[in-house]
Amino acid sequence: MSDDRRLPGVVDRDGERRVRVMAGLELSRGRAALALLGVALLFAVPDLTPLLPGVKLLVVHQGLLFGFAAVGLNLLLRHTRLVSFGHAAFFGAGAYATAVLATHYEVAGLFTLLATALVAAAVVATVVGYLSLRHTGLYFALLTLAFGQLLFAIAQGQQFLGGSDGLSVRPGPGRGGAPTILGQVFAPEVYELLVYYLTVVVVLVGLLVMYRLANSPIGNALDAIGQDRTRAQFIGIPTRRYVWAAFVISGVYGGIAGGLYGVAVKHVRPEATLHFLRSGEILFMAILGGFQTLLGPLIGGVVFFFLKIGGRNFTDYFDALTGVVLLLVVFGFPRGIVGSLGGDRSVRARAAAVRSDPTVVLEWAVAGVGRLGGALRTAARNVRSVFGGT
Amino acid sequence: MVALENVAIHTLNGVQYGFVLFLIASGLTIILGILDVLNLAHGELFALGAYVTSSLVGALVGAAFTPDSGLGFLLVVLAGSALAAAVLVPVGLFLEAVLLRPIYERDEVYQLVLTFALLLVIKDAIKYVWGPKPVRLEGVYSGINALATVSIAGRTFPTYKLLIIVVGAAVTVGLFYFFERTKTGRIVRATAIDREMATAIGVDVDRTFTLVFAMGAFFAGFAGAMALPPTQAHLEMGADPLVLSFVVIVIGGLGSLRGAFVGALLVGVLTRWATWLYPAMELAAPFAIMAVVLLVKPEGLFGSWGERA
Repeated sequence: MSDDRRLPGVVDRDGERRVRVMAGLELSRGRAALALLGVALLFAVPDLTPLLPGVKLLVVHQGLLFGFAAVGLNLLLRHTRLVSFGHAAFFGAGAYATAVLATHYEVAGLFTLLATALVAAAVVATVVGYLSLRHTGLYFALLTLAFGQLLFAIAQGQQFLGGSDGLSVRPGPGRGGAPTILGQVFAPEVYELLVYYLTVVVVLVGLLVMYRLANSPIGNALDAIGQDRTRAQFIGIPTRRYVWAAFVISGVYGGIAGGLYGVAVKHVRPEATLHFLRSGEILFMAILGGFQTLLGPLIGGVVFFFLKIGGRNFTDYFDALTGVVLLLVVFGFPRGIVGSLGGDRSVRARAAAVRSDPTVVLEWAVAGVGRLGGALRTAARNVRSVFGGT
Repeated sequence: MVALENVAIHTLNGVQYGFVLFLIASGLTIILGILDVLNLAHGELFALGAYVTSSLVGALVGAAFTPDSGLGFLLVVLAGSALAAAVLVPVGLFLEAVLLRPIYERDEVYQLVLTFALLLVIKDAIKYVWGPKPVRLEGVYSGINALATVSIAGRTFPTYKLLIIVVGAAVTVGLFYFFERTKTGRIVRATAIDREMATAIGVDVDRTFTLVFAMGAFFAGFAGAMALPPTQAHLEMGADPLVLSFVVIVIGGLGSLRGAFVGALLVGVLTRWATWLYPAMELAAPFAIMAVVLLVKPEGLFGSWGERA
């Protein structure tokens, strides 16, 4: 095959054709097609939502935004093995930054608002990180949750921040009740679309940056820190500074997502952005999608929001539904949606097995029932052992 | 000029609040210290205790007693609280033995997510049983008005708050006695220090863990029951106690009962003083103490669990 007939961006690696997205990221053809499909799907969402009853663009949009915050959280979770239970703090800091600027200072420019959201989240993450990164493990989770809830209490208590009613992001009269994009005022429908496309672009760029970061020397250092902090220190990695930097970057992702949430939803309430249940949900998205993967948290975010809307339609007990799904994920699919698609016991491997021999399903069912029975017996034995008998 | 009797009253208020905080935080801290589990559902167990108590005391007031005398009312409330807390023991047993035990060996993110899931489920279970609206308790706790107030330093102080202080002190003494002097308490502490060694000398670690978790659930429920009467039971009531007991644990030191006691009283008294002197500081006061402790003594005022209770 001669070089001149090759498409730009296509390279040969180990005898296989790969699509080069950027330095360090080369996808196999199948994956490149999937990625292209995913991107196209993201851009097509505004055209698809009218076809689906009960699905609004804003739902998908919010799912993407919270999922993006979860991508940030995942930097800590996947690499440094730190469980942050306070990521709503950064999301909320970003969202409130846009609301405060728009309401109290009449700032209308969308990009100014977003830049401020980024800075606000970075500042909050720097302070919270400084105080809580002295600890690891459960203690760290506890501290991040406490600081997040402090911000929630402040937002709810301060009149300046609107109390529990929150603040709207509608700067000044005569601007269509929405921020302006590059000085232009747009009709509400157009504005919604533009902000959505902006979100898609930000998410894609954010994912690429995260990929580069995870596969850079810094990412490797963070992996080392996650595996064994003492050993990482011995080989000369400045662990404190690295983890702190990762924490701030992770917070900035949350802040950008929060800022976009502010300008998209145009009203910021403490309950919806800062409450620690939101932190839990962000963590849930990462687990649901698969926290050992790059894309998992984002997909988890979108799935979670569909679950939320779908669940709200048929039950008042949406929280319990979330809880049960969470239990199922913890006990049944600990690797999450995306994580379950790869590996030798993956969905794809199983589908191939069924194609070659359909009776294997029966075997799995028997094994599954056996495992369930075993788990129940163990549980019963545990309960009995409490009362003395074994 | 700050009058002395005001200082006394606000301090007493703070001590009462501190004891409620200690009741909640003690359960959380022993579970954290011994099982290495951060139970995010602890606040919901607190709420569950409050709801169960409201129903139990309501039933007791309706059926057996007419709480026109102050003493009768206090007895009914105490009995109701103890019963409600007892209801939480089997709940704790179930949660630990069936749900938590299979995941001790796994990544800690899973136990956090699991207890978070339990938080959501318990919250909605409460909503299902008692409804989404706050449970008003004027009728149930009307007896509280029949109580004579106590006069302290020229100011009146509600007897019920005094009762909380007395009960809180009794529970504190009981807990320390349990962990310092009884055989079971020492076994629990030995398990916390070295799980493998405890197994080697014949301690049933599984059973110890279940016992500890049930104990934690009991105290969460008891705290909810005792804290309830002056207020109302509502769905969001679990969040603040959870976060405040986190603050208490950070101040006192991870999994230290002694630390939790000191931390709870510190937070209780300082919060009440802040509410009185600088109301704007009410929310921030506990966190301010926490931040200072984190900066000066990151491991907390008292070390960790085990060597001393």
